[in-house]
Amino acid sequence: MKEISLRVNGEERSAEIHEEMRLLDLLRDALHLTGTKEGCGEGECGACTVIMEGKTVNSCMVMAFQAEGKEIITIEGMATKDKLHPIQRAFLEKGAVQCGFCIPGMVLSAKVLLDENPIPTRDEIREGISGNLCRCTGYNKIVDAIETAAGYLNTGGDSNA
Amino acid sequence: MAPLSVYRGAELQQVLKLLQDHQGKVCIIAGGTDIILKLREKKLEPEVLLDISGINELKGISEYSKQLADTGLDGLKRITEQTMIKIGAGVTFSEIAKSPFFSQNLKGLADAALSVGSPQIRNAATIGGNICNASPAADIIPVLLALEAEAIVRSREKEETMSLQGFILDKGSVKLLPNQLLCSIAFSSLKENQSLGFAKLGLRKALAISRIAVAAFVEVGDNAFKNVRLASGACGKIPKREYEVEACLEGKAINDGSIEAAAELFKQVLKERLRGRSGAEYKGEAVKGVFKEALRKALGYQNI
Ligand code: FES
Ligand code: FES
Repeated sequence: MKEISLRVNGEERSAEIHEEMRLLDLLRDALHLTGTKEGCGEGECGACTVIMEGKTVNSCMVMAFQAEGKEIITIEGMATKDKLHPIQRAFLEKGAVQCGFCIPGMVLSAKVLLDENPIPTRDEIREGISGNLCRCTGYNKIVDAIETAAGYLNTGGDSNA
Repeated sequence: MAPLSVYRGAELQQVLKLLQDHQGKVCIIAGGTDIILKLREKKLEPEVLLDISGINELKGISEYSKQLADTGLDGLKRITEQTMIKIGAGVTFSEIAKSPFFSQNLKGLADAALSVGSPQIRNAATIGGNICNASPAADIIPVLLALEAEAIVRSREKEETMSLQGFILDKGSVKLLPNQLLCSIAFSSLKENQSLGFAKLGLRKALAISRIAVAAFVEVGDNAFKNVRLASGACGKIPKREYEVEACLEGKAINDGSIEAAAELFKQVLKERLRGRSGAEYKGEAVKGVFKEALRKALGYQNI
């Protein structure tokens, strides 16, 4: 066992970890942030995507001890207390969510994409979420939602239209 | 089995000392995209897992100047300065894809980095890890072979430089002693009439485990191929130089005829190499297209 500390969704957290744990296990089992999903466990599906130091990573491909001192954002860090993040709102409005399993990862990939490229083309959006597999939606509505979210964010992110 | 202990290396010297003191018991982890699967499948059972992803000395892409001594036709020794480009072993594929060093003539390197995995994988996976795992489908290796890159390896005592080609021994194995660490990769920067192209045949763009990849370095003069270096990925046990095909292009005028003849030869070479294995026929045919695309891209990067 080993004690590590890191910042998760803006808060200083510490946890006891097993040496064999992955960041995914740390988040879900030790910190009970179960919004991060495990799909394949092999770096292929992106369901476990989190943002580490401003970049998306598959949390099943990072060992927990490697996250010591790092800044992590999970899906739980997107909404404020009473308000969804504009990307989440756009996903709901555009009907981009079916079973929902891929959505936390999709939303976080979309966030980094829009942080780096506020007005992406549809192709750039597809490339940005190319590491996130969805077995339900056929992706079109997800791309629609990210386009809509880009609009919300570029107009200050608060529009309730 | 002893329980796993884990360390985060903070400085290169400290990591080299750990490697020295626990020879053979340490497994290095950086991006984790290969190692974590092997750990979970128990294909690797190290006593110590040593994370090098936080070591600054292994980061960054930079230029430096190297003095080369060579003897001219008149028998006199001359010292020439060669500008080299160095990529730290801990540089990620995302960093390579975005680096201003790899635009224009060297864009083939960015193309190869961008062809790997998904954004999440590229953000984590490092060039050093890709090389040390020496998978037949390691996409970055063919471009580095075409650039005649060298591997810079360190132990506590000394630094050694060797050709990348010599460094990669076989599928999954590299020439690294238990007390050594691959620290960087370096190659000569390109002149205006030199460029690098890369093309790959994958299943789909994100996550494509490379099927066939070709990297082409070309030096052009008087509308002819003055110097050509080709390397392939997933066309044999390890990525390799394709000398026969290179020779067929060298000195030839740049036109459809010379390129087509080389493509035909590439097909024959590959079919011969893969004889009796499944997919030999298909790969032989496919390599022609991939090769021509790599060459076209290389020529395109210098507006030819
Ligand atoms: S669970 Fe991590 S990529 Fe699928
Ligand atoms: S909504 Fe079901 S996997 Fe994407």
